[in-house]
Amino acid sequence: MSGRITTSSTAEYFSKNLQQVGFSSQVKAVLTTLKEAVDNSLDACEEAGVLPEINVLIEKVGAGSLKNSDQIRVRVEDNGPGLEPDDIPKVYGEYLASSKFGRGRCSRGQQGIGISAATTWAQLTSAIGVRVVSKTERMRKAMSCTVEVDIKNNKGIIKDKDSIDWDRPHGVSVEFFIDGRIQLNGEAGLLNYLNGTALVNPHMTLRFKLPDLEEQLVERVSNAVPDIPRATEPHPHTMKLGEFIAHSHLFGRVRAGVWLKKGFSRVNDGTVKEIIKGGVKSSVLEKNVDALGEAEFKSIFMALQNIKLMAPSTKSVLWIGEEALSKSMKRLGSVDFFSVVSRRPTICDFKPVQVEVAVARLEDRAAEADSPVQVLRFANRVPLQFDKSACAIVQAITSVNWRTYGISQPRDALPLGPYIIAVSVVSPFIKFKNASKETVDASDELVEEIRRALIQAGQKLSKHIRREVKAGELEEKIKHIEQFCPILVSGLCRITGAPDSRKKRAEQGLIKLLGRDTKAAEKELKEAHEVLEEQNAGHQLALPLGAHAPAKEAGI
Amino acid sequence: MNGNDKEIIALSKEMCNKVLSDIEKAKRPVLYATKCSLDNAKYNYKTGYLTPGPKKVATELNVSSVKKMSRAIFMLEILIRNLLNGAVNTKRELYYISKGEIKHNSALKALDFQDQPESDSTIDFICEILECYREDMNCYANDRGGQTYSQQLVVTETLPDGDKAVVDLSKLGTTPFQPKNRPQNLKLSARKKIDFCLIVESEGTANTLVANGFTKRHSCILMGAQGVPSNAVRGWCKLIEDELGTPMYFFGDLDAYTMQNIFRTLKAGSAASLIRNSDYSAPDVRFLGVLPEDIKKYDLNDYPVKENDAQEVRALKKAQDALANDPFFHDKRNKGLSQILKWLLQHKRRCEQQAYFTVDPRDPTMPEKIIVDKIKRGDYV
Repeated sequence: MSGRITTSSTAEYFSKNLQQVGFSSQVKAVLTTLKEAVDNSLDACEEAGVLPEINVLIEKVGAGSLKNSDQIRVRVEDNGPGLEPDDIPKVYGEYLASSKFGRGRCSRGQQGIGISAATTWAQLTSAIGVRVVSKTERMRKAMSCTVEVDIKNNKGIIKDKDSIDWDRPHGVSVEFFIDGRIQLNGEAGLLNYLNGTALVNPHMTLRFKLPDLEEQLVERVSNAVPDIPRATEPHPHTMKLGEFIAHSHLFGRVRAGVWLKKGFSRVNDGTVKEIIKGGVKSSVLEKNVDALGEAEFKSIFMALQNIKLMAPSTKSVLWIGEEALSKSMKRLGSVDFFSVVSRRPTICDFKPVQVEVAVARLEDRAAEADSPVQVLRFANRVPLQFDKSACAIVQAITSVNWRTYGISQPRDALPLGPYIIAVSVVSPFIKFKNASKETVDASDELVEEIRRALIQAGQKLSKHIRREVKAGELEEKIKHIEQFCPILVSGLCRITGAPDSRKKRAEQGLIKLLGRDTKAAEKELKEAHEVLEEQNAGHQLALPLGAHAPAKEAGI
Repeated sequence: MNGNDKEIIALSKEMCNKVLSDIEKAKRPVLYATKCSLDNAKYNYKTGYLTPGPKKVATELNVSSVKKMSRAIFMLEILIRNLLNGAVNTKRELYYISKGEIKHNSALKALDFQDQPESDSTIDFICEILECYREDMNCYANDRGGQTYSQQLVVTETLPDGDKAVVDLSKLGTTPFQPKNRPQNLKLSARKKIDFCLIVESEGTANTLVANGFTKRHSCILMGAQGVPSNAVRGWCKLIEDELGTPMYFFGDLDAYTMQNIFRTLKAGSAASLIRNSDYSAPDVRFLGVLPEDIKKYDLNDYPVKENDAQEVRALKKAQDALANDPFFHDKRNKGLSQILKWLLQHKRRCEQQAYFTVDPRDPTMPEKIIVDKIKRGDYV
């Protein structure tokens, strides 16, 4: 006898599977909550053309209800446009309520799951939803409320609604009380996340207060709000039949031929003619889309798949740029030198992608000499901190032969040494391996594109390393001469019983001899230095920190 | 100080003088050393041992080599002092003597050797330049291996002060005679004709044979090689061969390591010691066994080479290289030995010398019987 079949709401599903969206451990719960809140703030600021100012507070407030956990306060405030009162329950209490889903734009959030999941986690562990304060420009007073998720119905519920005075023109403040554990350092640490976010958002001012640390302020280094590119229509070759049919529902009563041209990129009159040539009756394309049957959709879809179309446009890709990324690297503070590469947007797996890479060497070299390099991964300007090994970015880094650039590297592993390798992949359609967006799927084309960027960055960096090696060699040579010349000559004179006059002549002769070697080394060093200078003149290379830094340079 | 020492000192001074006058003229001095490696080894059956080819390693004085040269001159000074004083040292002692010199003279600090291999390679470098033996520079290794038993052999040693010491091995009982690293100071004579000299790879087995009366029953010299023959063993065998003309037989394991490292070094010297193989090899020594055919003939216990044992795999690989590149195994007249190597590579089996004890476990003299029988029948390679 079969059981009764029931349906459950999206909220019910996610509340039981929070591990799928980043709440698989207590440490991750804190980080994910922070990440979702900051992502929302940054997206909102950029949408409204506001330079983001983000304040973060994380503190322990007591013991958590879960075993071995603390109760943590996570508060994120922004100066974004603020949320309209009606939108607040949807944003924080309803799954899959998103203004960004499937729009083909490079926003951080996409589906509208993350922040609602954070609310659910707070609700499950502390029995309190999220405390929201929001004020838009036209509101005289800010609205303060608590939002909870109605798990049975996937709806946001507002509680304790109030109007309060808020000393800012607009913005949102969210405050979660959750069970979790705070990890500050390490790859999965909060500091790594905040520093990474600062690195790829040069236009952001970030103020944060974490437990056991002084409050820190990271000033913005760019006053340009990223110009979020307009979304482009989907490319037919990136869709499946079901998506294709669902896409038609957005257009209501419109002729199929018109829908194809308006609703997709790279489809024009010529394409429509080819569809007809491909066996689709012209009468079908004259019909309204809402009147098309499944077989007709399928015939159009199949014909489209067989037509050679131009690759999707790369205009929808947002990039940080070498200059902004370089300035942002300075905020890491203690780097010796670095190189930055922004690849031109390209198509990988039929999706527009842009890869940017920064490789920096830390000043404190001794501490990390034998440890793997620090890898900072970003997808749509959001740091990725878990499940590193399966990620396209890490696979690309290990595939590069870093030894060529003077960086040591065990076989098939990450390179070693006091370096930071930051890789940012931006695309309106990033293929993540899971809903918690921790790993970028490693397709061959994407790995190759990242690899190329890394090779370029490695080549730039190697010139610094080579120069340093040459300088070291020269120093060593001079030291050698000073140390061994007198010893060698005295030894020879003692064995042969040579008089002092011979000794003096030999000393002078030896200095002349070895001096020639030193001059050759000096010449090599000068040449290496000149190559660097030429590079800098072309705005491609970085100079050591503390040296002169012309305004247009793409590095320190 | 003997004539050889004087010659070495004169050679050293000449070399230093040449370097010094080149430096005075701001001309780069170049030191030429014999290349001691297999690719510079020649073998001629009539000569009987590996000799150096024409290849030399040139070390020109420049910034990179100034340290190496300075160290060589520093160490040479110590060695010359030893020759003048008649003092002898091991490599390890020379390492500490050099450390002591540096300790008492801070100006030499840059020369300091971090560990013994650094000072060892400096000594080797000096020997290669002067084309002499380490022993010529009064630097001796520990007298390892070569413990010898005989009822007929008498050794006369000329001591550094000119006195002579006579050692009659028949008076030593079960105590062996330990040959020296410098066999040139020894003279040999026999109380009666010695029929053969047996060199046993395992020192333990050599002791067993003596304890069971081998040297009492046979007019022979019996020696334990103790693995890869040291300079003492090699020089000692050469001396026996030259002075007594006694037939020499080697008895050891049937495996690639024994054939390629132990036996070849004993018979023809090594690539690393090309300069001194003439005095440190016994070209007439024959391989008595264990021979591949002995396994069947005596029903010996053999076993497969462990292919997951890095050392054994390395030995097989070296044997393969030897067949391809070693001029000793290339020589037609050593075909019998190269056939054994091929057999070992093909069958990947080994048989130890002690396997002769399986033939008749209740007869402790059975290995002796087999050995003597093999010598009589000419069953060797």
